[in-house]
Amino acid sequence: MAALILFVSLMLMLPLVPAFVELRRKSDASPLNVVQQHAGEIRHFANSFRTYIQILEPTLRQCVASGATASGMLNDGVEYLALGRCDDSQTFPIVQPGATCSVTIAAGSDLIVPRKITFLRDVYAGGQFSGGDNNSYRAILGEKDIHLGRSSRVTRWVHAVGEFSAEHDCELSGRISSDSRIRLQGACNFLRLNAPQIDTGHVMPGEDSTRPNSEDDTNAGSGVVQRFLYDGDFEVHAGEVVTGNIVARGKLHIGAGARICGSVKSVSDMVLGTGVSLQGSLISGKKMLIGPDCAVNGPIIAERALRISAGTRCGSLQHPTTVSAPRIEVEDGVTVFGTLWAREHGEVVAN
Amino acid sequence: MIYVLYFIVFVICVYTARHYWFTLNRLFGFQRHPYIDIDTASWPLVTVLVAAHNEEKVISNILSALMTVKYPEGRMLVIPVNDRSTDGTRAIIDDFVERFPGRIQPFHRAGGKGGKAAALKDAMELVTTEVILIFDADYIPGAGLIKQLVAPFFDPEVGGVMGRVVPLNVGTNLLTRLLDLERTGGYQVDQQARMNLRLVPQHGGTVAGVRLSALREIGGWNDQSLTEDTDLTYRLLLHGWKTVYQNRSECYEEVPETWAVRIKQIMRWAKGHNQAMVTYGLRLLLGKHRATLRERIDGVLLLGVYAMAPVTLLGWALALAVFFRGVAPLHGVIALFSLTAYAALGNLAAFFEIAAAARLDGTRRRISLLPFLILGFAVSIFSVSRAALSQVSDLVTGAELHWDKTERFRKVL
Repeated sequence: MAALILFVSLMLMLPLVPAFVELRRKSDASPLNVVQQHAGEIRHFANSFRTYIQILEPTLRQCVASGATASGMLNDGVEYLALGRCDDSQTFPIVQPGATCSVTIAAGSDLIVPRKITFLRDVYAGGQFSGGDNNSYRAILGEKDIHLGRSSRVTRWVHAVGEFSAEHDCELSGRISSDSRIRLQGACNFLRLNAPQIDTGHVMPGEDSTRPNSEDDTNAGSGVVQRFLYDGDFEVHAGEVVTGNIVARGKLHIGAGARICGSVKSVSDMVLGTGVSLQGSLISGKKMLIGPDCAVNGPIIAERALRISAGTRCGSLQHPTTVSAPRIEVEDGVTVFGTLWAREHGEVVAN
Repeated sequence: MIYVLYFIVFVICVYTARHYWFTLNRLFGFQRHPYIDIDTASWPLVTVLVAAHNEEKVISNILSALMTVKYPEGRMLVIPVNDRSTDGTRAIIDDFVERFPGRIQPFHRAGGKGGKAAALKDAMELVTTEVILIFDADYIPGAGLIKQLVAPFFDPEVGGVMGRVVPLNVGTNLLTRLLDLERTGGYQVDQQARMNLRLVPQHGGTVAGVRLSALREIGGWNDQSLTEDTDLTYRLLLHGWKTVYQNRSECYEEVPETWAVRIKQIMRWAKGHNQAMVTYGLRLLLGKHRATLRERIDGVLLLGVYAMAPVTLLGWALALAVFFRGVAPLHGVIALFSLTAYAALGNLAAFFEIAAAARLDGTRRRISLLPFLILGFAVSIFSVSRAALSQVSDLVTGAELHWDKTERFRKVL
């Protein structure tokens, strides 16, 4: 009987063995890793890479002075190629189309690379960077402008201290940032972009990018304004002026030329007509269509999809903002000041 | 007797289904994080209130952390709300005020009603900004947290924001490890599922924010409430404001390291929650206001969470009574089914939720501690039932509810 009780007790205890082992060993007892030191800045990887290749600075200076090329290994055993002069695609060590470059490239001055090259490691350009068509990059850091040729591909990140521009059909995965400006031509795909100014397609002649939006002086979310709450669908009529925040629990349509001095939220779909001007933020629980020539000062968030029509300006140089949705289509001729972030897919489309 | 048991079994089944629904939503559903991408904006002025009552062990950690967060210069003011502290809290705060001029404005409260809500209510005289963030003194915010918690206020429908609480002292003992698992399930699954499903994410009163105009509209902080956070959640909801949850806005906290402190904490939570249930339950379910049907149902279920402990105990007692009295053969079977439902489905639902949460966090090995959660549940069920009983007795005798501060375990710096 005692043996039976002992056996049953042991059987009952058996499922608890892993628990006792874990309690004793504490193999998974550290706090969940919460990022404490940085705030998810888009330039985080670029800054880390700059620090990482700082060790090459003397080598690069020598190469630039002599116009020579040097190679070696970085501290972690990664091979590098330091270029003193590469301001002509013919001077780049790899010129054969379809070739793969598996070393870190660091150029002390301008860097021009030929077409159809796959870069498996990061690229650094101390001057201007210009890439040929159909290239594939892992990451690029440029101390001046960066220009990517047609159908180029970036898999991780790019940061340009100067202007970043990409020709048609580029695929820009990861983070693309510039301290000056980003210009994307038609059919470019993107995920996360950040720059003081982001333009799609050709900027309209006579367009003054420094012109502030009409109600630039107010911060979204900071002012106390009246709130209008509607339980179903709602429409702001064309040309109407509304002072206050609008919340619609259904669909929302804002007519052409309407002016809203406040923020707008729709739990469902939202459509903005032509020339709507909005001082605050624009939030949609589903899909959002922003018509042509609108001006929105605050953040624009659509929880499902967003399309921005030509001539629309989001934010301003004085008040940069964020435009975000899982899927974003931006027509040629749109300007975003700040961040343009498509979680799943962003694309520059024809008008 | 049997019909009461039927009803209890039905309610248990509703909660069980709710647990499964939330967990499956987190594992396979569409995940809503609408505001987390807002990294560039004209950031509004913000006031950060730090509730502190005898917090000399922890107050310097949070003030140091707040002085290093990334928020535009001159747009954030920290107000440590020193509520009648008798330890070194005041001196530590004053030292920080001297070291960071213009960035910290102390609020030293020498008397008045006890409790966090009462202290926050008094501190509101210093608040002028539309966005207010609230932290308890044992929390340690990371560099990007303030922007993340402010971002949802760009949505004009949002009245309150809640971030995720992450225990820091996980490995101390069995209790801290169990609390870590409970918190994981509560935030990673429960709160985020409510956010995904547009239900009622709960304002936790810390790692949280509230819009000043919304707070004024609902009548300010309720110093009659033992859990001002639950009270705030429901008053915002009844006035057409949303509380949103940001699962990626994580902040470290210290969890109780002794069972006595834990029991005291959960009893206070239970009393406050039950208080809110009595005050807002019927009004939320049947009243004329702007909450949606799903918010009404979920809101009521959330209010009933702590009432479920005494109800479950009663169900056990009834099931056993029905079984042993042999009221009728069929009733005996139902009693057996009831017990099985509690023991298997009900518990498994909560275990499934916590295991799924740990998996989502990528901390798989701690899942092996799940069997020990029965111990935590047992302590909770009896403590919460005791709290409910004492609340009823307080109601009869007319005794006032009183607020207990949670003891800290960190070493004084």
